[in-house]
Order: sequence, then structure tokens, then C-alpha cells
Amino acid sequence: MSNSARESILGSIRTHLAASPAVDDQPVTSANPVIPSESDPVNRFKESVEAVSGHCIVATDAADVLKQILTDLNAQRVAYSDNPPNAHDIFHFDVGVSTAQAAIAETGTLVLDSDCERHRLVSLVPPVHIAIVNASSIVETLGDALTLLQKKEISPAITFITGPSRTADIELTLAIGVHGPQELYVIVDGSK
Amino acid sequence: MNHLSSETFKENAKAALADVQLRGALKNATSLFGERRKAAAASLPNWEDLRTHARAVKDEVLLHLDRYLEEFVRNAESRGATVHWARDAAEANSIICGLATERAARIVVKSKSMTTEETHLNDALEAAGMQVVETDLGEYIIQLAHEPPSHIIAPAIHKTRQQIGELFTAELGMPPTDNVDQMTSTARMKLRDRFAAADVGISGVNFAIAETGTIVIVENEGNIRLTTSLPRLHIAMMGIEKVIPRFADLDVFLKLLPRSGTGQRLTTYQSFITGTKRASTDEGPDELHIVLLDNGRSRMLAHPVTRQSLACIRCGACLNACPVYQQVGGHAYGSVYPGPIGAVITPQLMGIEKAAQLPYASSLCGACREVCPVKIDIPQLLLHLRGEISPRKGSRAERLAFKMWARVMTSPSLYRLSSVAGRILQRVMPISRAWTNGRDLRPIESKSFHDLWANE
Repeated sequence: MSNSARESILGSIRTHLAASPAVDDQPVTSANPVIPSESDPVNRFKESVEAVSGHCIVATDAADVLKQILTDLNAQRVAYSDNPPNAHDIFHFDVGVSTAQAAIAETGTLVLDSDCERHRLVSLVPPVHIAIVNASSIVETLGDALTLLQKKEISPAITFITGPSRTADIELTLAIGVHGPQELYVIVDGSK
Repeated sequence: MNHLSSETFKENAKAALADVQLRGALKNATSLFGERRKAAAASLPNWEDLRTHARAVKDEVLLHLDRYLEEFVRNAESRGATVHWARDAAEANSIICGLATERAARIVVKSKSMTTEETHLNDALEAAGMQVVETDLGEYIIQLAHEPPSHIIAPAIHKTRQQIGELFTAELGMPPTDNVDQMTSTARMKLRDRFAAADVGISGVNFAIAETGTIVIVENEGNIRLTTSLPRLHIAMMGIEKVIPRFADLDVFLKLLPRSGTGQRLTTYQSFITGTKRASTDEGPDELHIVLLDNGRSRMLAHPVTRQSLACIRCGACLNACPVYQQVGGHAYGSVYPGPIGAVITPQLMGIEKAAQLPYASSLCGACREVCPVKIDIPQLLLHLRGEISPRKGSRAERLAFKMWARVMTSPSLYRLSSVAGRILQRVMPISRAWTNGRDLRPIESKSFHDLWANE
């Protein structure tokens, strides 16, 4: 296969481009000014998480808050991303707990990087996901997060999470928790 | 029902117009989508700049598509992915069926992909003996109903909740209900069972980044994450136009796509997949295969007008804004790509003779151009395609009529004579039936502007 398919497609691209009238090939400049925000990133992040139906708790003792949430939920089986069950058992857990390596204030987004978070299905499969993120890891904008990810060799799997799983495929009516969690708790660890 | 042909758009549209349930569902969905998009765009002060910027990036890629594709392939392969090139639909399907068969796969889970709809991959996989399960809720619904999608981002938009409830009761044994949450949880349960058993996951691609070899896929439900994490083989199919140069370019595209599609600031999940996992104990598939599909795309590069078609990011905004789509829905177009963008890419992908009615399925009002996040001038494209069709199809009578019209309009005396004649003739003979069948033609006023001006 495919050497010939490759050559034939690239050849077709070159031939058709050559047949087209020349145009000025101008370098692309950024048109994406950063809009400064007044509130601090932690508050802005919390508001954004809540705007997409997530819960957000800012705490100085994250472990304590986690324990309290698990007690309130009466969680029996809890899967942790640093000590995960095998991929097929994960379907039988009540709660998944992970950390996030970064978060985006303007959108309420968690960033999970496979270099640190090697088992991200705990954030997807159980009906409840609890994520812990350091307050100092919260960046202002989507652009800031993309820049951050490029500071090192990019990891094989990076996942952005903004709120619980949702669908509107039936009459555009919002239904929460279609394939992923119905509930998302984010604990912002402000201790450092 | 509903495997309609794009060759019979006029008949399809007529049937759709008579379907009261369909028109209710469409009105509801397109107006809601439209309002949400408008609010989301207004929430960014630099929306117009973002559109201009995104288009410039797309133009840059398309003018050097060979170079950016090679860069993408080099970077994806150096990080463990295998890339395949497919000239057409048959070649793409045979590559994917081959990969699945070699690994003795039986169950395939799929996330939403317009490109695999375009190649009719499911039919090919089923013919090869595999069970194929669509896992996006909307796609799952239409797969159960044996229908094609009717909207680029909301495939089951043409169905009411009652119809979907009845379908789930008949096909899945769900107790009768029209409660959306109950239908959603029924689908969740059924599909989890398939995810757990699947050998292969097949996805589409929203953006492929040349600089890093990363593929980016956006979604709300979580089925893409499951499809690309659980099975040991992940195959991603993408059109060759999906490549963008730099990782940082995602900033503008991830702002435009969700806002234009669903009115969200960001969809719930974005998956950035770069090659394969680093340690065998890590989560994720053992193999990643990426299929690059041409299928008529490289031809569109030959002209600046047609080349714009390849800038499309498949947000669906032009469908919602289009007065024709709003009335007839997606199936009438007889193509996996409906609406204004479908009316321009279908004839280019399938051959103009197979879809010659589609470039006329527009009033050229320009609403599609207004909402397009990458500023594709769809009306210009429609006219360009009409120009390719009309020399072949224009009748002698039509040419004669326009010639006479030109004569009359350029001569004041002939013009006055014709308006007098028109006033008399309109009482005794109907004008053009083809025109007045679908529209009202206002009668010519008894006094012309010239008469009024002369007398006042």
C-alpha cells in the first residue's frame, strides 16, 4: 500500500496547488489579545467550574475535604488514579479520585497530563469524579495552558475536563452524565 | 427510510416540507443553536479578529498542505503512531478492515466521525464480519433507526423525544417513556457493556498538529475518551485538510469551534493524543493508527474559490443559520454533509453530476457566510459551482428568455411597452408555474412609478 498512495496524494496536492493562481502568502500574526481580568484566578476558576454544573471547594486541607466528600457521598468503592484498578474493573466503582496538573480559570477546565496522571479513566468512568488541583497551578487562559503544555516534550495523552459529562442529542435537552460522571467536585488546594 | 439521493433534492425537499413533526423538531433545534451561538460569539470582544486569524491559519496550511502533512506524519510516527494514506473511500475502508481483521477483532466501538460516514466505513466493517457500535448518543440513536445523520454535530436532530423513546422501547426494551434522562441512562448502560468488550476503537479527528504530531478530538459526552482509551487498538480517520501548523494555533480554533457549534466556551472534553503510551502498564491503547483520507479533497486546492471548502472545521453553524436547512433538514440533501457547506462540498466530493441540484438549494442570503467561524464565502462557492453546472444544463429557452429580458431592460420604449403588456397578460395567463409553485408573485401595480412621477 501506501507508499504509492502517499506519493499519489502528495503529487495530487502539488499539481493542484501549482495549477491555482498565485496568492500572497502572508505570515499569520496573532489576533488573540489577552484580556486582563480583575478577579484573582482561583475565584475566577471556581466561578467557571460552577457555571458548568461542577462543585468547587477552595481549601487549605485538601485531604480533609476529600474525606468529607467521600463520607457525604457514602462512597463504598473509590478508585484512585495513582493506584488504579484494571481498566475493566473500573466500571464497578462509585467514585474516582485524581489530581490535575493544571487548571484554566477562564473556562473552569482541569488539565490531566498522562506523564503524571497515568490512569485517567478514574476521572471518566465512575459516576462521581473528584479532582484535586494546586491553587498555584491555575492559569488564566486557554492560551496560557497551551503554552504551559509546550514547555516540555508533549505527553502521549492530555485530557481537558470542563464540568461533568453532558449531552444534548435528544431535542437539545441537556442531560448530565451520559458516558462520564454525573458529578464533578474540584478541590483547590490553597495550602501552598 | 431516508437513504435519499442528492440527485433528487427537489423531491426530497418536497417530502420534508410535508412532514410536520420534522419541521417542528428542526425549528426548535436550529433556533436554539442559533441563539446560543450568537450569545457565545458576543461574549468575546475580539470575535471578528479570531475569525480572520483562523482563516489565515487555514489558508497558510492549504497553500503548503504537502509540507504540513509530511511534518505531521513525521512527528506522529516518531512518537509511535502509524500513518496510512488513503486516496479514496474504498482504500480507507480496506486499510481499516485490514487492521481490524489482522488482529482478529470482533467488536468495534466508534465515536462520531463525519469522515467515516463519508466512506460508509460501518458497512465495510460489518461486511467483514464485525459488530460496529456507534457510541455518541445521537449516532447511536440513528444507528438503531438505520438512518444517516441529519446534522453535522447533532445527528439525530430531526427526531422528537417521543420518537426516540419509542425507538428505545422497541430496540432496547426500555419501559415506555419520553424522559430524556431515562433514555440517556439506558444508552449509557447498553454502551458500557460494548465498551468493555470492544477490540477496536475508531474515532475522527478535529485538528492534527503538524509541529507535534498530535491529534485533538473534542466532545461533551465522554465516549471519545472511552473509545480512544479502552480498546487495545485505536484507529483515527481524518481528511487531509484537518492539519494545522502549530500547537499554539489551537487557542483560536478551540475558541471558535465550541462557540460556533453548541454555544459553549469549551466542550466538556478535549483529548490531545500524541503517539502511543510510554510504558506498557500505562492506560491507553497499544497501537495508534491514523488514516489520512483524500477522497477528492486535493482536487479542491486547484482554485482559490473551491479551496476555501477545505477550511471548514465542521461546526454546523451554517446549517442552523440556513433558511433552506431550517425547513427541509439534513436528509433531503442526500449527503452526509447537509446544509450550505454540504451543498458546496458534496458536489466536489461526489462529482457535480451526482449533486447538481444542491448548489441551487440556497437563496444566496448570505447567513451562512455571516456565521462561519473561518469566513468561508459559501454564496461565492455556490455561484462558482452553478457556473460549472449551467453551461451544461441551461436550456435554449432559458438563454433566449434572458437575451430578450436584456433587450427590454436596456430600451426605455420596450420597457414601457412590456409593463403595459404585463398588466394585461397577468390577468389572462399564469406566469411561470415553476416559480409560483413555491412563492407568491406580487401582481404588477396598475400605475407604474414613471406614471406617478409624471403626474405628481
